[in-house]
Amino acid sequence: MEKPVTGTRKVFMTGNETVAWAALAAEADIMFGYPITPQNEIMHYWTRLGAKYDRGFLQTEDEISAGFTVCGAIIAGKKAFTATAGPGNTLMQEPFSMAEAMRLPIVAIIQQRGGPSSGTVIYSQQEVTLTTYGGNGEGHRIVYSTASHQELYDYTIKAFNTAWKYRFPTFVLGDGYQAKMREPLEMYDPEARNLEIIKPSPMVGLPGQIGIDREPQHLCNIYSLEEELYDVVLKVQAEYDGIIPELVEYECRECDDAEILVVSHGVVSRSTDDAVMALRSQGIKVGAFRPITLRPFPSQKLREILRSGVKKMLVVESAYGQLVRLLKQEIYGETVPIETLLMPGVGIIDADIISKVKSLIQ
Amino acid sequence: MTYAQARIVEAYIGEYASGKSELAINRALELRQTSDEVTLVDLDFVEPFYTLRSLRDYLQQQGLTVIAWGREDSFGLGETGSLVNPPARWVMWRSGHIIIDVGYGVHGAASLNLVEGALESPELKVWAVINTGRPMTSTVRDIVDYVTSLQRVDGLINNSHLGDLTTMEFVLEGLRVVKEASQQLNLPVIYTAVEKALEPDLRAAGLNPSQIKGITRYMPGAMW
Repeated sequence: MEKPVTGTRKVFMTGNETVAWAALAAEADIMFGYPITPQNEIMHYWTRLGAKYDRGFLQTEDEISAGFTVCGAIIAGKKAFTATAGPGNTLMQEPFSMAEAMRLPIVAIIQQRGGPSSGTVIYSQQEVTLTTYGGNGEGHRIVYSTASHQELYDYTIKAFNTAWKYRFPTFVLGDGYQAKMREPLEMYDPEARNLEIIKPSPMVGLPGQIGIDREPQHLCNIYSLEEELYDVVLKVQAEYDGIIPELVEYECRECDDAEILVVSHGVVSRSTDDAVMALRSQGIKVGAFRPITLRPFPSQKLREILRSGVKKMLVVESAYGQLVRLLKQEIYGETVPIETLLMPGVGIIDADIISKVKSLIQ
Repeated sequence: MTYAQARIVEAYIGEYASGKSELAINRALELRQTSDEVTLVDLDFVEPFYTLRSLRDYLQQQGLTVIAWGREDSFGLGETGSLVNPPARWVMWRSGHIIIDVGYGVHGAASLNLVEGALESPELKVWAVINTGRPMTSTVRDIVDYVTSLQRVDGLINNSHLGDLTTMEFVLEGLRVVKEASQQLNLPVIYTAVEKALEPDLRAAGLNPSQIKGITRYMPGAMW
């Protein structure tokens, strides 16, 4: 079987297509999914490519089933994933919660769309709360928010490695714009960059006799005793807290002497970068902070920046305060005033941010 | 020769994100320079709300007749399904040049059967837009397989590019691949599309000016 991606080459693709190729490059075995805009082409391209490269696909009867079949395939040792959006993300919270409980390395690509649901297919950044803390648990998950097609490629590959290394459900959070827009990127064989691809392994049917050769596998998602649940959650929380320093990722631009700090994530951060460049050229001391991991949140770094002379923080998002809420809980106690530019469902361009920043310094 | 015989009817088909809409817009605007009547048709049945909608007003200001769903037409429809715009269905009855942007979803030239009289028309030319920067159509074999699957194609357009990272070398290598595919398919290469800035370089590289079409990119302005 030839490799789907060899060496490195420049290509021109949509975001959805990029995800499908990245999943191939990450050696994903099978995708389970149910159609929903704006992630459909991840499935379309995966099915076209899967037939060529001997990978599996199953369209299930709904998103609940898609999520649970991913869980099942993972237990059986397959590198499985799904992709969804909006109300599909809502439905998948049940299997995602089970994956949290059972520490299943589920990978899901979320191409955010608008809400309230259910038929709103357009771009938005309104699935931040749902993707970071949507389950009936403590949000023991890892969420990467991408800003470009190159990142969709890089972080889809990374998501599989993160999931299988740490055994927490891992998400790539894109959006309707990233899904559909087209731009160039470098597609590469991870091996050509000395990037190790972590191999999956089964959690059932292991060799050896239980009690003699090995301990039994406890794949449990039901706890009938309150004390038992307490112990389990605290143990998982401690493990999660322990890996935060290895996991957190962020980007700072012109943060060192910034008096106004613009915080944004995902595709909006591209407009923030443009705005910061334009404002800096006018002598305005503005910087940009972009969390790449929304969960765990790079709160320590953000606190450091805030304490280095920032006078005002401006949070910009295509949602009505989902990033704001996430950020507030993460930097509780900091006293820098928080201003907002909240445009749910609407794309935000540099001019929007520039005029908002200017209004703050008048 | 009557006007009806002299008019141009072109349908742009190709892989998702191959540049169909961009080339259809450019072609329509080019024809508008010498003709009063040019109609541009958006034939995307799956996601009509993602395509020409946001450019419609601008293109109409440029003097084109644009048949595409507008924001007000599609409001509230969400993803409720495939819709054929009635003016698109009957567009062949209009006078003047007609440029059809065949959206993705309905595969290949077959979707043109939804436009009454199009496939029967001797005027119709179906151009397949190929960008070798798209991984699904990057090799001769891939292109031949793909174009064969489209049922009817009358010519290929080399639209090989990498967005802002496009180089002349990339366009020329794309042309080499598209030409080889066209020979196997026994189809002509209609032209090579490049951003206007690269046009002089291609001429200097020895490409016949009649085989180059300098284009302006409008689609980056199509924020949904």
